[in-house]
Amino acid sequence: MNTSPLTPQRSTGKHSSPLSMQPILSHATIKATPNEQACYVMLEISPSKDLPTSRLPLNLCLVLDKSTSMQGIRLQQVKEATRQIIDFLEPEDTLSLVVFSDKAEVLLPGQKNVDKALAKSVASTIQPSGGTEMLQGLLAGLQEIQTNRSEMSVNHIILLTDGRTYGDDEECIKQAEWAGLNQISLSTMGIGADWNEDLLEKMADVSGGTSTYIDTPRRIVESFKATVRELSTIVAREVSLVIELADNVTLHEAFQIAPHIRRLDINDDHKLALGPLGTNNRKIITLELRISNAEPGKQQLMRLNVMGDVPTQALNRQADNWTDITVNVSSDTDAEVVIPPVIITALGKLAIYKMQEKAMQDMASGNIIAATQRLETMATRLLNLGETELARAALLEAGRLARTGSLSSEGRKKIRYGTRSLSILPQEL
Amino acid sequence: MIKCPFCQTSHVDGTLFCNECGTYLLDDDQRGTDPLGTSEIGWVGDTAEDPVATSDYRGTGPLAIRLSIGKHKRVVEIPLNKAIHLGRLDPASDVFPEIDLTNDGGLEKGVSRRHARILKREGIVVVEDLGSINGTFVNGKRLAPYLPETLSSGDTLQIGRLLIEVELRS
Ligand SMILES: [Zn+2]
Repeated sequence: MNTSPLTPQRSTGKHSSPLSMQPILSHATIKATPNEQACYVMLEISPSKDLPTSRLPLNLCLVLDKSTSMQGIRLQQVKEATRQIIDFLEPEDTLSLVVFSDKAEVLLPGQKNVDKALAKSVASTIQPSGGTEMLQGLLAGLQEIQTNRSEMSVNHIILLTDGRTYGDDEECIKQAEWAGLNQISLSTMGIGADWNEDLLEKMADVSGGTSTYIDTPRRIVESFKATVRELSTIVAREVSLVIELADNVTLHEAFQIAPHIRRLDINDDHKLALGPLGTNNRKIITLELRISNAEPGKQQLMRLNVMGDVPTQALNRQADNWTDITVNVSSDTDAEVVIPPVIITALGKLAIYKMQEKAMQDMASGNIIAATQRLETMATRLLNLGETELARAALLEAGRLARTGSLSSEGRKKIRYGTRSLSILPQEL
Repeated sequence: MIKCPFCQTSHVDGTLFCNECGTYLLDDDQRGTDPLGTSEIGWVGDTAEDPVATSDYRGTGPLAIRLSIGKHKRVVEIPLNKAIHLGRLDPASDVFPEIDLTNDGGLEKGVSRRHARILKREGIVVVEDLGSINGTFVNGKRLAPYLPETLSSGDTLQIGRLLIEVELRS
């Protein structure tokens, strides 16, 4: 795609980019050596200060599991959350309401200027029954979103379930991918311990949304509200980071660190998909680079561009606004290495997340001993960070794993969602 | 190549954290290798089996440290025979620091439950921030997390916003 990736090609400055990027490099200076060496770049991506923060209209669909297991406090809290969301809506927002069990039902077809009293009374009629067939609900929700979308709308589905869907996992992921390509993001929320976190996480990731583990029904309302509040701050959709590397540099790994940790897929075109961007949810990305044949002097490692669809600024989707990342290469091998503390902190948390990934892989390939040790080491690191509760969960699961050869469904979720939220946990002092 | 001191895995130069075990690789000390079994959880690594914390007891250097804490100058003198943790006591989370700063206004002053530790390494007394939120400072300079910094008599140690005067005793 890029014949000459590093031709200096600065922004002409005619339009300032609506999205700004602040890179920090782990090593200001690297060694002159033919051998491979690592270097990290951390980026903060946020909407530019001068971008108008007018709220985009929401096109929101709630897709709610009403299977028998939702009976009682779960469903009661879901209804309460729905009522509070209805109250939050502005007249130009669209809301639709879908429930599913063995089949789906559109309780409230999408409408602007929602009749709030009517919508609430519709929500209060939900009765639990049947099993969990998520695909049915998802399809009905996507249908509603498609019918009601506009050029400017933030299209989003909040899908809540408490159970495993059987046999339609792959089709659910396909639909979520399709949603992502069509600027529809999914918040997938699992309540209790019986749902499939691999599936819900994948669906959220491929659509540019977020998955949430709700350990107790008491957190349903706050999870819904936090999601909708965040949606109402979105200013850019389909944000991506485009990377062009120098010849002697490769991109080893890429992660999103905030709002939560997740691995970013590296495609051939080195364009990392980051999903929508809100005014209060800056994204922090880390890139691990490998450099070989570094020669003394200045070395340009790569250049970066943030692109995104900013509905209020039709012009800027392809803003040509590259940032060069340059490092000094020195033959002085004794030079003191000073790593910025923010990078150490972020990568330290990332290291724990990656150990979790590896422990799960060890387990999947039947290597129980390795997985157990990994969880124990992880617990030590967590204690060093002061994450006592998560450390305890990791230790409990390590013990269980050693005894029984498997993790508890709940422990697995605690560890997965706990480690990926390390960067944003409300860190009590 | 560099080798992880904890699990011996090799990594390319410049790697900051071990991919296998999460150890910070820039320092070539034993930090972060605190032993921890499934039976114990709590403030780990500060007991007799911690080689880092105990190896220097009979070596050279100061034998004890005297801290004057906060504006009331609460004085604590404590031997340097093992790592000394500074933080806020939280039995519910199994956090039992040797020096509990709760009653020195720890919470208001931004002291983390596990904030920092002081220990002797090759005769030198060092302080290490344990990834606290509000930071550890020596004479006003913020420490990078987990990077030990030398402490000398007369230094001002700052835990969050709590000031502590340091005196080493031979
Ligand atoms: Zn290691």
